[in-house]
Amino acid sequence: MRAAILSTGTLAVMAIAVGAFLVAAPTSAGAQAKKAAPLELNGDAAARPWKRYDKWPKRDESKWSTLDAVKSPPAPKDPQKITGPITGDAAKGEKLVADRGRGGSCLACHVMGPAGGANLPGNVGPDLSEIGSAGREDEWLFNYIYDARVYNQDTVMPPWGSHGVFTDAEIRDMVAFLKTLKSPAKFKTVLDDPNKRPAPVEKRENLDSLENPGMWAVDKAKALWTKSMASGKSCNTCHNKPETQFKTWAASMPKWEPRLNKVLGVEEFVTRHAAATTGAKWLMETDENRDMSIYLHFLANGAPIDVDTKSAPAKAAIKRGEALASRKIGELNFACTDCHGKAANHWIRGQWLGELKGQYDHFPTWRTSLLAVWDIRQRFQWCQVNIRANELPPDAKEYGDIELYLAAQNEGLKVSVPGIRH
Amino acid sequence: MRELSRRAALALGAGSAAITIVGWGEGAFATPKAAADDIAKFTGGKAAEQGKITIELPEIAENGNTVPLSIAVDAPMTDADHVTELLVVAEGNPNPGVAMFHFSPMSGKAEAATRIRLATTQNIVAVAKTSTGKFYTAQKLVKVTIGGCGG
Amino acid sequence: MAETPKIRVPKTAKKGEVIEIKTLMPHIMESGQRKDKDGKAIPRKIINKFTAEFNGKPVFSANLEPAIAANPYMQFFAKVDASGTFKFTWTDDDGTVTSTEQKIDVA
Repeated sequence: MRAAILSTGTLAVMAIAVGAFLVAAPTSAGAQAKKAAPLELNGDAAARPWKRYDKWPKRDESKWSTLDAVKSPPAPKDPQKITGPITGDAAKGEKLVADRGRGGSCLACHVMGPAGGANLPGNVGPDLSEIGSAGREDEWLFNYIYDARVYNQDTVMPPWGSHGVFTDAEIRDMVAFLKTLKSPAKFKTVLDDPNKRPAPVEKRENLDSLENPGMWAVDKAKALWTKSMASGKSCNTCHNKPETQFKTWAASMPKWEPRLNKVLGVEEFVTRHAAATTGAKWLMETDENRDMSIYLHFLANGAPIDVDTKSAPAKAAIKRGEALASRKIGELNFACTDCHGKAANHWIRGQWLGELKGQYDHFPTWRTSLLAVWDIRQRFQWCQVNIRANELPPDAKEYGDIELYLAAQNEGLKVSVPGIRH
Repeated sequence: MRELSRRAALALGAGSAAITIVGWGEGAFATPKAAADDIAKFTGGKAAEQGKITIELPEIAENGNTVPLSIAVDAPMTDADHVTELLVVAEGNPNPGVAMFHFSPMSGKAEAATRIRLATTQNIVAVAKTSTGKFYTAQKLVKVTIGGCGG
Repeated sequence: MAETPKIRVPKTAKKGEVIEIKTLMPHIMESGQRKDKDGKAIPRKIINKFTAEFNGKPVFSANLEPAIAANPYMQFFAKVDASGTFKFTWTDDDGTVTSTEQKIDVA
């Protein structure tokens, strides 16, 4: 049995945690003792108050539903009555439907004739290039844009009018433009046609350090692993053969942690465990934390994702995660499952929407568009800000539930970290 | 014959958005003329023959921040006949210059690959100079997408 | 610990063989086009030159512009006639030169 050096505080925690979350002691030749990894932390695992990243949009979306609060007004029950034909400025409407500053807008999901130069429109929704001759009433067109939920409760369309993204006058302009659409879009190249554009295939060798700048994180983490921290210990003090000791650990995360009453992901585990054992201060979404998360996942590369989905707390967390992933949030009123379920395998403008399966095995990932490593919690945060909902701090329990739900959808896929993506 | 640049229509659209392409800010974009000026300086005004150059670029770049570029010039690479320089320019970037590659017979092949930044959909033009004083040229169009809802 | 350049050179080659070499240099390649929070342009700072020599003779080099992506990647070829050492250098706008070497056995 390995001799472990534990502080009295740690021993106290272990005494309390009877039947609690157990992590296998580092694998080495011989029998292993199972003991709970120390996790006690002074304060929170992420910066408080959580400040949004400087370069992210600065809008405050506190009036809309988020993952930790339902606030958005309910859908209207009935369409508004519109008497008489709608008049509006079709030229203005053509600009509005292409306006990226308005959360899309329409071209993100629809082909619309000449709007936006037919430059890489999306195909989540139907092609509207001939809607002007489809026999639709003006009232129907207006209300569909204003709040499509009055006609289709399962819609993924944002409630552009109900949520005030567009004014009534602007919606009338867009209706006027729609009424002019009577012939198929003319695409400049076949690639602009979302129905002809081939689905993207990620072919880059993400584990090739010449291909993926994210691999530098592995080098940095290896150096950090043996660096003595405030308590005089390093990770290596207890885990002196990480290449053999962590072959599957990251593939079993995230996991329900009864001492904290939440699902714990690798990044939060690193913050808490490193602080409890070495005195290191590696808050979530700091460089050290990300490097360590990459390294711990890297050590499990090739292992199939295999998280606990059977225990009672895991089942409850997954159920909560699924409900959260289906909650409509933000000014644009999207749920995770809208884009990565209903609309999966379609284009929003030039981006492909992937299914939930395949969206986890490569995290943390290098992002080429941002020249940075993102872990899964930062990815969650950005998705929310993008659909105009306030993000939660990275250690939010809701994120843990969603992460476990997401990991469960990725069971069996092999860990391949660091990833490399757009 | 070179394709007409699509910069005008597309750059106007791109300018109104809240794009954060890490490499670039918003600025005046180059024109095919600025790129042509760079080429004229390189060739001393001499005409470049179309051909002998293969440019590999994705048809669609998912973002303009890092686009893989590979160029190969069909040349013997002997002491007597080899590519000495290869100029690469971008017609729609704030400045047209991308790189100048230098080869020698010790290169073995007049081929190079790198990763480039593209501010918008545009033509990339390559011009090769040989030790015998000849110039060859080729170009390729890359469509640069911006994400669906900015992510 | 800062990132270090990554190099891929075959360990051995036959006399006269043309080998492929890949290099990756950690560098932000600040283009000079970006603006800071106050709207001021962030000054340009890039690797502007890359050279590859074999046994002291130039094999390949490149003059780089801000249009080269961050963490500049260079892939090229070299014809090797004898065993020896490759030397790679990267020159920053501020004059700093980073260099690294790699041996190869040629039979």
